[in-house]
Amino acid sequence: MQTLLQQIINGLSLGSVYALIAVGYSLVYSILLFSNFAHGGFLIIGGYICYFMLRSVGANIWLAGAAAMVGAGVSAILTERVAYKPIREKTNITLYLLIASMGMSIVIENVFVILAGGRFRALPPVIPTSPVNVFGVATTSMFDILSLVTAVIFLSCLQLFLTRTKWGLAIRAAAYDLRVAGLMGVNVNRLVSIVFFVAGVLAAVGGIFLSARYTLYPQLGLITIKAFIAAVIGGLGSLPGAVVGSLILGLAEMLTAGFISSQMRDLVVFLLLIITLLIRPSGLFGKEVKEKV
Amino acid sequence: MFGGYVDGIIILLCINSIAAMGVSLLTGFTGIFTLGHAGYMALGAYISSILIIKAGFHWLVAVLLGGAGAMVIAWLVGIPTLKLMGDYYAIASIGLGEAIRLVLENWQSLTRGSRGIPGIPIYTSLPVAVIFFLVMATFMFFLINGKYGRAFKASRDDYIAASLLGFNTAHYRVLSLAISAFYCGISGALLAGFLSFIQPIMFDMLKSTELTAVVVFGGLGSLSGTLIGTTIITLVTELFRPISQYRMLIYGAVIVLIMIFRPEGIMGQHELHPRLILNLFKKDKSKPAEGGKM
Repeated sequence: MQTLLQQIINGLSLGSVYALIAVGYSLVYSILLFSNFAHGGFLIIGGYICYFMLRSVGANIWLAGAAAMVGAGVSAILTERVAYKPIREKTNITLYLLIASMGMSIVIENVFVILAGGRFRALPPVIPTSPVNVFGVATTSMFDILSLVTAVIFLSCLQLFLTRTKWGLAIRAAAYDLRVAGLMGVNVNRLVSIVFFVAGVLAAVGGIFLSARYTLYPQLGLITIKAFIAAVIGGLGSLPGAVVGSLILGLAEMLTAGFISSQMRDLVVFLLLIITLLIRPSGLFGKEVKEKV
Repeated sequence: MFGGYVDGIIILLCINSIAAMGVSLLTGFTGIFTLGHAGYMALGAYISSILIIKAGFHWLVAVLLGGAGAMVIAWLVGIPTLKLMGDYYAIASIGLGEAIRLVLENWQSLTRGSRGIPGIPIYTSLPVAVIFFLVMATFMFFLINGKYGRAFKASRDDYIAASLLGFNTAHYRVLSLAISAFYCGISGALLAGFLSFIQPIMFDMLKSTELTAVVVFGGLGSLSGTLIGTTIITLVTELFRPISQYRMLIYGAVIVLIMIFRPEGIMGQHELHPRLILNLFKKDKSKPAEGGKM
């Protein structure tokens, strides 16, 4: 019983980190309707900036975290400006954007292979990992609680931003139809930049927690596959779907690791994906996709 | 025949081309974007190696069974998943490719897990690779220019219109996936017989990305473009081996640049044809070169 509770807390904590990544990815998908495979790149940009701020500059975690978020956000805007904007202005075939994002993800990963080397780096122990007793029924680490809390804070901020601000309204309008939003006087290019900045910031937060949980290495971005899968399980383009999908995935992974075998955890993730697609192809919260003739 | 190194490159070229033709059929001619086809190469490689080493099959039978095994799995996987369109299938294909790799990595008793299978007899000699390539290229040529090819292209260009015209698009999409998996399976089986060692990590997502990137680079919907793309990428990979650190960086940048400046790839939907080359040298640009051909 105690193990079960412990694994549930761990699963929620891991799931909430996935949620940070999946929400940013889903946000971009809802506006531009393509899978941004470079999203994992924003995550490692955030991770490496945080690492070097802590190690070389000697900053504290707050400063390093802020720098990582701004850095990843700005790189996300730059990625969009350099690689996606010329394509989306020329054509509306989203396949080209998808392939370009694949290219960008290879570029970002290998920039870090060259600059930082391919080796695994451990983040300095800035996030406490001391054991915590939860209401006397389960023991878990401070790290898991902190990542859960951080994710909840950031996701709430995003929710407030989307529902209470003018740009949030514009983003929600653009999720219905980007072109019509443009006709209504929304500056589309600025809107896309804002969306990418938000996605980059959230990915950086996820990146910091993932590199503290595992280690930091250029291929860490591949872990975004799980966030993509979470987004698909929840329904592509739906933000609540991305959060719920991520939590399901995190729970499934941790419960498998805890009770069956930790080698099976990735397999269970893919199995969940396939089962979801069989039963409900548009995901839990996805709109039924009707293609226009 | 030409000395070991050149022989090796030609064999590798044939192996890569066979896999690329498979992906080209699915992505270029049927319009289904995949990021998991390395999984089918892995299936072909493992099925044939295990049959040869553990069951003592003749290599030719094993290679064909490797391709057939990949085809059967793809067929089973395709029936449910190909109902998905666009990005949904792309994500699902990543999942499928990774799932195949993970199964191979964890089925220790059969596959030796991530340690890989060493000591596979070397059966992919130069003539074997070239003959396999020629036979499969010819088959692909007739396939895409025939009745099935037209059905594939119709479900790519507008699957609603195609199904209104009476094409069973769901059936053709699954068929296209199965044939492309067969090509990748054969390619993987030949790779096993060339390297004499296989390991699950050889067939990871990067390999899948590479397969699709080569097809995009050559031109979606062009068989000759696929072959030209594969040749260029394989040779460039060999040339850049000394600066392998920068190889992947350049590779990623090239993909982005192609998408920005020439998203249709080197050949677009054109095939290498004497008339196309003549058109290139004609000054008259008012006539679109083979414009009506789809």
